[in-house]
Amino acid sequence: MATPAALPPLPFNPSRVRSYVLRLPLFTRLVLLAIIVFWLLELQTVWSVKQWGSLIPEEINIGTMYRLNTYPFIHFGFFHAFLNLLALTPLLERFEAEHGTLTAVALFFGPLSTFPAGAYIVIERFVLHRNTEVFGASVWVFLLLGSEAIRTFKSNPYFSLGPYKIPTWTSPLFACGLVSIFVQNASLLGHLCAIFVGYLFGLGYLKVFVPPEKVLRWIEGKLNLLGRLPHYVSVDQKTFGRYGVLPTTTAGSERATPMSYLGSSQRLAAIRKLRSNPHFLFVHLPHILSFICIVAGVVWLLLLPLNDYSRQTYISENALLPGQVHAYFSGSEQHIFRGYKKELEAILGRQTPSGQDNRNEEFTPAVSDKIQSILRAAGLKVATQKYEYTSSGITHQGQNVYAIIQAPRGDATEAIVLVAAWKTADDELNLNGVSLALTLAGYFKRWSLWSKDIIFVFPPDSKSGTQAWIDAYHDMQPAFVQPLPLKSGALQGGLVIEYPFDHRFESLHILYDGVNGQLPNLDLFNTAVSIAGGQMGIGSNLQEMWDHNDSYEMRLQTILRGMVKQGFGYATGAHSSFMPYHIDAITLQPKGDGWQDEMALGRTIEGLCRSLNNLLEHLHQSFFFYLLMQTNRFVSIGTYLPSAMLIAGNFTIMAIALWLRTGYYTGLEQTAVKPPVTAEETNKQAATLTEKSGANTAQQPAVKTDSSSIIERQLALPLTLVVSLHLLGLVPLYIFNNINHQYYPTATYASIAINAILPTVLAASLTRGLTTTPRDQSQQSLLIKSFSLLVLGLFLSTLATLNFSLSFMIGLLCTPLSFVNRIDPRTASRPVRSVLAVVGLVLLNVLSPPVVLLGACWYSGVDVETVLTQAAFGWDVWGMWTQVVVWCVWWPAWVTGCALLEFSLF
Amino acid sequence: MTVLSLLSLLFLAAFSSLASANSDYLESLVLQPLPQSALLASFNFQSNDSQTSFDERHFRYFPRALGQILRHANTKELHLRFTTGRWDAESWGPRPWNGTKEGGTGVELWAWIDAVDDEAAFAKWITLAQSLSGLFCASLNFIDSTRTTRPVVSFEPMGTHAASDNLHLLHGTLPGEVVCTENLTPFLKLLPCKGKAGVASLLDGHKLFDASWQSMSVDVRPICTQTGECVVQIDQSVDIVLDIDRSKRPRDNPIPRPVPNEQLVCDTSKPYHSDDTCYPLESTSEKSWGLSEIFGRSISGSCPLTEGSTDGTVCLRVPHEREVHATDGAVEVQRPDGYTRCFTLESSTPFDLAIPEQEATTQVPLDEPVLRAERTIVGHGQERGGMRIIFDNPSDTNAVDFIYFETLPWFLRPYVHTLQATITGRDGLRRQVPASQFIKETFYRPAIDRERGTQLELALSVPAASTVTLTYDFEKAILRYTEYPPDANRGFNVAPAVIKLGSADGGASHPIYIRTTSLLLPLPTPDFSMPYNVIILTSTVIALAFGSIFNLLVRRFVTAEEASAMRSQTLKSRLGGKLVALRDRVKGKTAKTE
Repeated sequence: MATPAALPPLPFNPSRVRSYVLRLPLFTRLVLLAIIVFWLLELQTVWSVKQWGSLIPEEINIGTMYRLNTYPFIHFGFFHAFLNLLALTPLLERFEAEHGTLTAVALFFGPLSTFPAGAYIVIERFVLHRNTEVFGASVWVFLLLGSEAIRTFKSNPYFSLGPYKIPTWTSPLFACGLVSIFVQNASLLGHLCAIFVGYLFGLGYLKVFVPPEKVLRWIEGKLNLLGRLPHYVSVDQKTFGRYGVLPTTTAGSERATPMSYLGSSQRLAAIRKLRSNPHFLFVHLPHILSFICIVAGVVWLLLLPLNDYSRQTYISENALLPGQVHAYFSGSEQHIFRGYKKELEAILGRQTPSGQDNRNEEFTPAVSDKIQSILRAAGLKVATQKYEYTSSGITHQGQNVYAIIQAPRGDATEAIVLVAAWKTADDELNLNGVSLALTLAGYFKRWSLWSKDIIFVFPPDSKSGTQAWIDAYHDMQPAFVQPLPLKSGALQGGLVIEYPFDHRFESLHILYDGVNGQLPNLDLFNTAVSIAGGQMGIGSNLQEMWDHNDSYEMRLQTILRGMVKQGFGYATGAHSSFMPYHIDAITLQPKGDGWQDEMALGRTIEGLCRSLNNLLEHLHQSFFFYLLMQTNRFVSIGTYLPSAMLIAGNFTIMAIALWLRTGYYTGLEQTAVKPPVTAEETNKQAATLTEKSGANTAQQPAVKTDSSSIIERQLALPLTLVVSLHLLGLVPLYIFNNINHQYYPTATYASIAINAILPTVLAASLTRGLTTTPRDQSQQSLLIKSFSLLVLGLFLSTLATLNFSLSFMIGLLCTPLSFVNRIDPRTASRPVRSVLAVVGLVLLNVLSPPVVLLGACWYSGVDVETVLTQAAFGWDVWGMWTQVVVWCVWWPAWVTGCALLEFSLF
Repeated sequence: MTVLSLLSLLFLAAFSSLASANSDYLESLVLQPLPQSALLASFNFQSNDSQTSFDERHFRYFPRALGQILRHANTKELHLRFTTGRWDAESWGPRPWNGTKEGGTGVELWAWIDAVDDEAAFAKWITLAQSLSGLFCASLNFIDSTRTTRPVVSFEPMGTHAASDNLHLLHGTLPGEVVCTENLTPFLKLLPCKGKAGVASLLDGHKLFDASWQSMSVDVRPICTQTGECVVQIDQSVDIVLDIDRSKRPRDNPIPRPVPNEQLVCDTSKPYHSDDTCYPLESTSEKSWGLSEIFGRSISGSCPLTEGSTDGTVCLRVPHEREVHATDGAVEVQRPDGYTRCFTLESSTPFDLAIPEQEATTQVPLDEPVLRAERTIVGHGQERGGMRIIFDNPSDTNAVDFIYFETLPWFLRPYVHTLQATITGRDGLRRQVPASQFIKETFYRPAIDRERGTQLELALSVPAASTVTLTYDFEKAILRYTEYPPDANRGFNVAPAVIKLGSADGGASHPIYIRTTSLLLPLPTPDFSMPYNVIILTSTVIALAFGSIFNLLVRRFVTAEEASAMRSQTLKSRLGGKLVALRDRVKGKTAKTE
């Protein structure tokens, strides 16, 4: 064998599997195809394949006899289909190989489907009087197992377990029992019927249904099936047919080895050739695997909205008891609410004598004093906090007013926060929200049932005020934020009230995204939905999906919107600042024009506070990592995580493959004797931009060279380059967070220009500056790529557990980096290389971080300056680290990719 | 310490006048309305038994159950506190009894035990805690070595002890203990009149435990006069702060529904005032209340054992011009201070007080607290945290000297080297200063894991008109899984700190005590249900698989003939065979006799 000696032995040989799959006979292929097609058909929601084709005892009449044949093709979900496929393939393949395609068709569309079905229906309907529907190819699996077992029984009647002899024909029954124990919803009766028919078949009682050989020969002869159909197993060829399949069961002889499907000597030679083809193993296979990973990751995400992969939400923490109490906030409290509102309006009117139209809506000391006096009159402990933040040359300052209802008999160990910001997250005046919070403060004060303190916070805006307050609450505030003079215990939950308009509302929009993609406990969100919907009759929305009709598209859109917000990691409202401190918080925004008034919102908040008040423990029962697709459906981390992990895994696979390749395989010696590449291959290269260093080795017998020896890797340069590029990422990170906001567009365009130049400079200096052999250059470019991708893969898979969406988005944007490489000067002539490299560079530059930013801004119609100012504000105030990922992970990987392409030019 | 409340002076006066009395019983109730519709009710019950009769186990007023425990545990002086809620010093002024009769949230116990050495003292201490646990239906038995400390300077004996006694002070707290009616009932049973007569008849669990703040205390101490006569004094007190509005709500309708529209008190001067818009007006008049309204019942006469007391039993601290309606027959005495009036109860006639609503003209002055203290946990995360203690001296002229005493559970590991101090003057400027500038003395006893907690006693001095903030960092230990409480928990409670303000003037023996609120320490909690679920699932699978396979393996399969042959060998079948033979013989005999 020409396989390099140092090649680690593979536990199973992929080429064997491949050859096996390629050799599957015709009918088996068709059955497998049909099963997959039916599974795919089941994914759509318009027409239920299951309802159409499954075996339902009471649905069977003359018109629906087709069900007796269709039920084995239909499956319930991916895993059902997949497992049955795995089990069925070898059995069916063997059956067909032994009996011929025509016989298999005749039997499997005839008695072998209908008999078990008939037996099942008779027993289910007339003996048990039930109506359980069954479907799935497991019926054939057990049937074939049954017939196999009888054949085994004939040759080898018992296997002994100690002194006991157990007849071998019982083995399918054991299997059936195990399946019923371990697999949910497995139909024991259906399997038993199948095994029974299998026994009959094995014993030869069903021989009558096998078409006579003469007829088969005639058909074959007339239609020339053997010539026309690929993979057809002829009557003559069966068992000893053209594949030269070794007999699996021969009378009197021992059982054949399980490897018997290995082909004839001719076949074996092909496989050997494949195994001895390191070019395929080291160059093509990683690319194929990476590509499969990426496609699977994206498809996985697209599958999530389906019912099979998402779950109905539920309240996990029993203590919450949402909506179990009567909310009393009504009646004369509304008069007080109006009183407070008029009072605040009067102050606003006084601030600008010009009138209502352009009234000064700032949170002035007059407003602050009024709020304080109202809270004091209600008997709360009131305090204020001043803060000042400077970001991108803009100063944000203000004064928070907050008040505490000390729980009667409480010991200041726990608290709930209610926030009513003067300006909402959309920068509207939150007059109703503030008035409502003031009214609730007076109302809550009268109750004696609070086990936790209730803190009312009135920040001047939704961006910085709560952040300053919560930082100071934990004594983590920066220098320009005052410490809090008054405190309570550990915060157990937070609610933000927004009500920026004067008319009645229709539904509640619940905001839940936190800074850096952190989410509140799902229980809090569920409680809000359940109280609003179940108790108050207020519908809820999320992610600005106003008319969600529960279709696949809507669900997917909701998930994607949630992912975009999570991925950007900015604060979506006043509640977001609470999340880094592990305090669960949500914002309630009334939306639409309906018949719910502020008192209904007040009652919802009362109900939520009562639920939070019930908590014995910090919210921890339910999920912290989820994707919501509707107010009552979600995907949990276990289901969605593989999506981002597959994308991140593609980089790691490629990195490991490159590492192996640099050590074991260069392709150099082979190319030395190769003719120049053909035109076709050049085109292929252009399509994939993959490296094509060794050409057509598959056609040649393996060249006995020193390729089996271990090659020394030159690590210094690649390591230095990758590490220094990642460190270089700190420079744009610093610049984009610290310059004045008006220079942001300029800086963006400058960075695009630098992005175009930097890889060229790198490539030129590396190729010209270092005098190395071409072989070393080739190895080093591969190593650079390997390290860069390794860091990227590691980082993205770690990030996926923290911020799935960000990892997924960056991963997708980086996918071309897996496939770009230095075009080897030995495989392509200089002009070809130049053209390819330039095309690749242009494509890559479209996917550079600043260009993507510009494109996203253009698409969403937002100013670049606004976005970057917001990002810098997030970095300075909220502690957002999306920029770190962009500049210290994505950008270095991208520069490396570009530099590798640029190498081809020199 | 010139600022002592008039209220405490009154108590102290009563205290000293009673201290010399021999073998008597006295009870009193002081009612004082506080701002924000709160009402402080201080119940006090005091009885003396002579030391000789106590030693001879002859108990007159002294509860026998407690006396036996004290003798068994060699306890010379005992202080037990049950407290719930926090005292709002900002609104309510200084604490009743200057804080000497209250404990930290939960249960607090300290005692002077006569024992030869520390070990013997600790054994007696455990005995004492276990016995009191049974007596008071409280979890005092959880006071173990990790919760026990031996304060050095924070507590001083209140009684007179012989110099020959080898006394050990032990102190323990249970900050998470919930005080409720099951603690009140045994408390009342210790009283000579058992809560059936006298002021104790007002103590109803429903009202008592609906209070905003509440503290129960039991103090036992020996007092000796100059002449050498010694008495054992038991002093029980209940202090509660009730919310007048809440207490007046009827018991069958306690929900604070929004008031009907016509009962809203609105500011009609507002321009927008209308039928459906109301800016609530702050009420300036004093609320009306009555004893039976607040406590749900009236005092059922005086306790007959309070013979010959000249002082009033029920005292009310409202301005003299305030109208007060008392039940006929009660003798009202107005004290010259202008705010106190006392009523003496008749032994058999019920007593009630009613105070109508009246426009407030003067207020009973409340003193400024001498020191404000606040202790909070700062920082976040599962691994580290910080403690922040703020001392605020409101006085513009005097510095405050005090002892700060805190006990920390062993799983909270403080880094004392990180102890830092900041001082903020009235100008609002913060200055970082070395902690040694305020700390005059330190007593620190580090914790040992699972054996004892940290004990920290600091002698501090806070300058006038300034706020001193002490901070230190700590690390949270990781507990073993069996050390978590089995039920749902919100975190672990950290006992409140105790602050003892020495009385600077003349060295009077009655210091002021302040306690901070207790703290909640969230520790990393594993998901206990996850292993449980896994164990259940795997156990089920293993049981199913193992059961059937084991059955198959050990069962002997035999043919029917073999089985019957084997059956003849067993004892049971042989006995059966004998029985059959016997029966046959009997039957045969009967057949023969026929």
